[in-house]
Amino acid sequence: MQELLHHPAVQGGLVPFGVALLAAVLLQPLRLSGLAVILGFAATVYLDNGFSLDFSSLKTFQKIVWLGSVAALAAIPLALFNAAWIRPLLTAAGGASALWVAERILQQHQLAQMFLWGAGIALYAGWLVFWMDKLGEQPVRAGSAGLALGLGTGLAVLFGGYASLGLYGVALGAAAGAYVLIQMITNSRLPCGYTFTLPLALLAGLAGSYAVLSVKLPWYALLPLAAIPLAAKIIPVSEKVALWLQSTLLSAATLACAAGAVFLTWRVAGAPPF
Amino acid sequence: MLKRHALVMLLAVLPFAAHASDSYTIDPPHTFAHFTVNHLGFSTMHGRFDKTSGKATLDMAAKTGSVEISIESGSISTGFAKRDDHLKSPDFFNAAEFPAITFKSKKFNFKGDAPASIEGELTLLGVTKPVTLTVTEFKCGTNPMSKKYECGAGATAQIKRSDFGMKAFLPAVGDDIKLEFELEANKD
Repeated sequence: MQELLHHPAVQGGLVPFGVALLAAVLLQPLRLSGLAVILGFAATVYLDNGFSLDFSSLKTFQKIVWLGSVAALAAIPLALFNAAWIRPLLTAAGGASALWVAERILQQHQLAQMFLWGAGIALYAGWLVFWMDKLGEQPVRAGSAGLALGLGTGLAVLFGGYASLGLYGVALGAAAGAYVLIQMITNSRLPCGYTFTLPLALLAGLAGSYAVLSVKLPWYALLPLAAIPLAAKIIPVSEKVALWLQSTLLSAATLACAAGAVFLTWRVAGAPPF
Repeated sequence: MLKRHALVMLLAVLPFAAHASDSYTIDPPHTFAHFTVNHLGFSTMHGRFDKTSGKATLDMAAKTGSVEISIESGSISTGFAKRDDHLKSPDFFNAAEFPAITFKSKKFNFKGDAPASIEGELTLLGVTKPVTLTVTEFKCGTNPMSKKYECGAGATAQIKRSDFGMKAFLPAVGDDIKLEFELEANKD
């Protein structure tokens, strides 16, 4: 059993998918199905690394996990507000989070490079938070974007040569996949909002930007990933057709963007070394 | 008058102080940190770091010494570039975030005229743990090629990588790491 639970396909695929599936259904009466994604992600973190957190020497990897968890917790009360200032605030917080996560690496660059990389990763994380938030009232579109963003980030990071973080990205995608699947099967929309979009966008944004700075993930591979929530927002799919068809069309389009990111990384880094 | 006395005292003490503890600079082309790790239970993989720097002091009469070595984590080499890239990633040595691995010691334990072990602190991935190196060879003398006075040593140690937070691919890739240092240092 232990051997099975240590298998990457189980840790990064089956477990987050199963946990998210269960959580999305169980939390539906509370209108908190969006938390399914972070719960699926948390199951992978637990199996891979446990939940130990040493604040005295917080590593970048732990910072990412910690920020994702905080974002999920903050998303619950945020749902009570409907103020115009929330989106810009979350966007700025997303950008600032990317800087905090990459702080130690950025400090080792020359000043000009430090500002360039810092601005780039802050923009990327902020962009994802902003555009995923715009999908908050559209669960089918948000689910498809989450599926592609998770899988695209995870696989691109894996190809870039960072197995642990890649596994976590794939777990995000698997959990979002469960969220999409329930809507396809039941033909009814699940509650979405901040609880789904905020932790997912932040985790994907932080993982992508950290991988660009630390492994062979080229910066321009983030461009097709950044296009995912935008594509999910603007692709014209009628709201009147069955949800399975909407999900299939939107997922196909967003997964094409994700495939673009993986392809660009593969061109630079080749096949994963493991 | 007081100044002159002080100067005389200083000049009198200086030669003894210089002899008391000689300082050395690590010779990078002759200094390497090697490691071995079990791979999936099938074999033992070897690797090394190509770039090192540091300083040492040695007082043979008092049988004391100190050493500070910095190893560039991005200089890892296992003979296979793709694996080296992975070893530089945050899964293992996280070279972008922690570019240096350091070993610092101020405690040399002598056995006879040569150090037998060196007690110090190894910092890897930002985590500092006590590590004792067992000295396997030691020699000081004039290098016949460079004509410089130098000391050379070999030392080994055993660590667990998980103690330093390096947990990726455990237990498939072994937790027990054997470290081997080969170093030469020129007298300043």
